[in-house]
Amino acid sequence: MSDSSTPEMVTIEVDGQELQGPAGAMLIELTDKACIDIPRFCYHDKLTIAANCRMCLVEVEKVPKPLPACATPIMEGMKVFTKSDKARMAQKGTMEFLLVNHPLDCPICDQGGECELQDLALGYGRDISRFSENKRVVADKDIGPLVATDMTRCIHCTRCVRFSEEIAGIRELGATGRGENTEIGIYIEGSMQSELSGNIIDLCPVGALTSKPFRFTARAWELVQQPSIAPHDSVGSNILVHARGSQIMRVVPDRNESINEVWISDRDRFSYEGIGSDDRLTTPRIKTNGVWHDVEWQVALQAVADGLRTTSADQLAAITSPTSTLEELYLAQKLMRALGSSNIDHRLRLGDVRDQDSAPAFPGLGCSIADLESLDAALVIGSNIRKDQPILAHRLRKASNAGAELHFINPVDFDFVFSVANRLIIGPAGMVGATAAVAAALLEANGKSVPADIRNLCTASEVDQGAKAIAGSLQQAPRSMVFLGAIAESHPDYSVLRSLACTIASECGGQCGYLPQSANSVGACLAGAQPHRGVGASTVSDSGRGLAALVEGGMSGCVLLGVEPEADCDDPAHVIAALEDCGFVVSMHAFTTETLEQVADVMLPIAAFGETSGTFVNAEGTWQSFSGVVPPRGDARPAWKVLRVLGNVLDVEGFEYESSEQVRDELHRACEGVGTDTSQHGNCYTTALDVGLMRVADVPIYSTDALVRRSPALQKTGDAASFLARISHAQAAQLGLSDGESVSVVQGDARQVCTVVTDTRVPESTVWLSCGTAKAAMLGASIGPVSLEKGSGEGML
Amino acid sequence: MMNAIKNYIKSLFLLELLRGLRLTLSRLFRRPFTIQYPDERAPQSGRFRGLHALRRYPNGEERCIACKLCEAVCPALAITIESEPREDGSRRTTKYEIDLLIVETRIFEYHFEERGKHVMTKEMLLEVGDKYEAELAADRATESAYR
Ligand code: SF4
Ligand code: FES
Repeated sequence: MSDSSTPEMVTIEVDGQELQGPAGAMLIELTDKACIDIPRFCYHDKLTIAANCRMCLVEVEKVPKPLPACATPIMEGMKVFTKSDKARMAQKGTMEFLLVNHPLDCPICDQGGECELQDLALGYGRDISRFSENKRVVADKDIGPLVATDMTRCIHCTRCVRFSEEIAGIRELGATGRGENTEIGIYIEGSMQSELSGNIIDLCPVGALTSKPFRFTARAWELVQQPSIAPHDSVGSNILVHARGSQIMRVVPDRNESINEVWISDRDRFSYEGIGSDDRLTTPRIKTNGVWHDVEWQVALQAVADGLRTTSADQLAAITSPTSTLEELYLAQKLMRALGSSNIDHRLRLGDVRDQDSAPAFPGLGCSIADLESLDAALVIGSNIRKDQPILAHRLRKASNAGAELHFINPVDFDFVFSVANRLIIGPAGMVGATAAVAAALLEANGKSVPADIRNLCTASEVDQGAKAIAGSLQQAPRSMVFLGAIAESHPDYSVLRSLACTIASECGGQCGYLPQSANSVGACLAGAQPHRGVGASTVSDSGRGLAALVEGGMSGCVLLGVEPEADCDDPAHVIAALEDCGFVVSMHAFTTETLEQVADVMLPIAAFGETSGTFVNAEGTWQSFSGVVPPRGDARPAWKVLRVLGNVLDVEGFEYESSEQVRDELHRACEGVGTDTSQHGNCYTTALDVGLMRVADVPIYSTDALVRRSPALQKTGDAASFLARISHAQAAQLGLSDGESVSVVQGDARQVCTVVTDTRVPESTVWLSCGTAKAAMLGASIGPVSLEKGSGEGML
Repeated sequence: MMNAIKNYIKSLFLLELLRGLRLTLSRLFRRPFTIQYPDERAPQSGRFRGLHALRRYPNGEERCIACKLCEAVCPALAITIESEPREDGSRRTTKYEIDLLIVETRIFEYHFEERGKHVMTKEMLLEVGDKYEAELAADRATESAYR
């Protein structure tokens, strides 16, 4: 709606109080703003108006019948009474009807104590029921491992139905039958597909939809609520953590209109389950002669200090997780640099470092999260944004609903919940060609000559038409953006894609932005956890080696901060091999894994999500600090404290912090004036990729970090990682393979047996084999040449 | 003036003391009230609240569904309940502990010899309930008219 004229203001009177609002606004919007309480069930400010619960009936002067406040537009001079006898009688009558079929099972209902129906029944219900007939009973539906249903309790407000249609963008829930026989159900039995499905738990005003992992474990009044920041995607959704005693019981969204509005993804909501996982590390441990012993902190820290001191500086490295807090990353790099080593990296899934020196200061979104909504066109390169950053996808969905044209260049035709104007689905090598084709088309459309570098990259002629369409759309749109996603980041030609994306962005007058993967990908760059840049992404004189170079050898002492090499790196097998060769490895992590036990020499238990204070910087560059909600388990300690003490033990100066806020403030001062321009690139136009059968991998939504991988409920969903080689029908026919057949997947020296699945979403010459499983971890980089050999293993195909 | 003289005379002749002694003397020759507990017992009301018990339905199912209202309402915070879905999906307690400060059945005689023993677990409470179920049910039936 680009209607620039401000709507006319209308004055009404509610309970004798004068209120003003724009013409066309609903009555309830005004009363809510003025804090005049009107009971409601079906109205929700983020959903369309259904006006089917009738709880919000109010009396309006000169109108014979009471009117629903949620569906009555205000009119000049309107006189409304929300508490008159007539209004009260209508509200009480509605409540009585609602309670006719509602079971009296509050004592066993998880919503008890935080139920809108329970609360309103207190004010509007009768003490004793006049209904003596039989109550209705509705069979419960199985809608997956996240949301429990008790459909008898449903009051048919249809909030959940409207949510799945309007917000989640998938029509999964619906109402069937009429009148008393109305039932809310899922159209397709099984589990909900939406990655935002957990929000219906908050929306449902009664206990019909409740959290399955939380089921029956605590009461609302036992929980202590503390605000925090979600530790997964780079959105930094504001959340409220509910704890009982020293245990986190559940996570619910907090309202922040500029970030997550009122929604959070299921990953943010249910990952807390991982905190208490069985493989939680609760005491410091040291390995002697291949056997692990629990030791005191002092002993462990001394062992670490000795190990680090005896390693020569250029052989010393720190591999850090981009889900660590800003404070942890800052202290880790400060310690490393104080010990004389710049070999520190957090870019665990980066596929190409060729142009790292000309990359932007941090891989930010290039606009604010809320701005995504007002885009007119966007090109997204290499991203399954719906699963990678569900909240950003929701913003793009809003843009798309408002008419924005969204275009994708992807190696797999991922399912999105918004309409995609143009999609160029082409293998990893072709992605570069397709992006180059868009750039070339734009340059041509702008009447410029296409540089030979770019012209040479345009190899995939089949995409020309699509590329032209995308170029045209981007060029015409007043506001357009180009985004590089997770698959682009792990692409061996990331530098090329970046240069092309920036070219496209500048040619269409937009910006090039990034869709960072982890909670603190942006923060890690600011904290200086990179080999080639220091604090505040400043240039450093003594550039160190990044992960890719460290894996090649020459590492004899290594600190792993929150990293599980087998699951957090793009090429796990090589990282593990390098760590095995490394003389001294310290793992600072909240959990232990078989691989860590194998490669590490000392393990320091650190606090997990919810147990430590810290700061995350989200994709748009907002710094969000949070405090610990519960104490760390066992002897675990917040990592920033461990690093601080380690600094003291190693006699490093400047490690006298008393609080994580001090660390943050020190870093914040150093980050003043950091450039926010995300459109920098290194003019890199030489591709490193061969043609031929290529593996391409995404990181499935529930494999992204240590916490989600340990959440049992999330792992039961359909989005959990599976080890399948998905190829197109044509490819299968060409290779003589059929659906369900076992093949050996050969990538470099690695070989794994895998099931073939034909999938129409996969383009030619591509094998879509996701990361996230133990077998996939042993295969190699997420994008690279691969071959499929028939089950028995004889004969290359 | 008159009052002062009256008081003076009362205290001079120890009149109040004598009045008190008269009551003592009169009791001396009546049957004593004292019962020889534990050999003798006073009658008990069906509403008496003694030792706690968790009851079951006639089919053997526990009645407690872990609504946790007793936990919330207990002013002494003597109750600790933990709950989770049982295999059949029903809401049940996994832990139900009462720090015995107050009593609920008609059992009022119990003692503990060690610190910590005063916390009754769910199993113990159910056992008490099973043992006295007949009495509890009968009491509730007789009292039902007044509920
Ligand atoms: S299940 Fe809940 S949200 Fe959905 S219609 Fe019923 S009451 Fe409303
Ligand atoms: S809130 Fe107005 S009809 Fe439901």
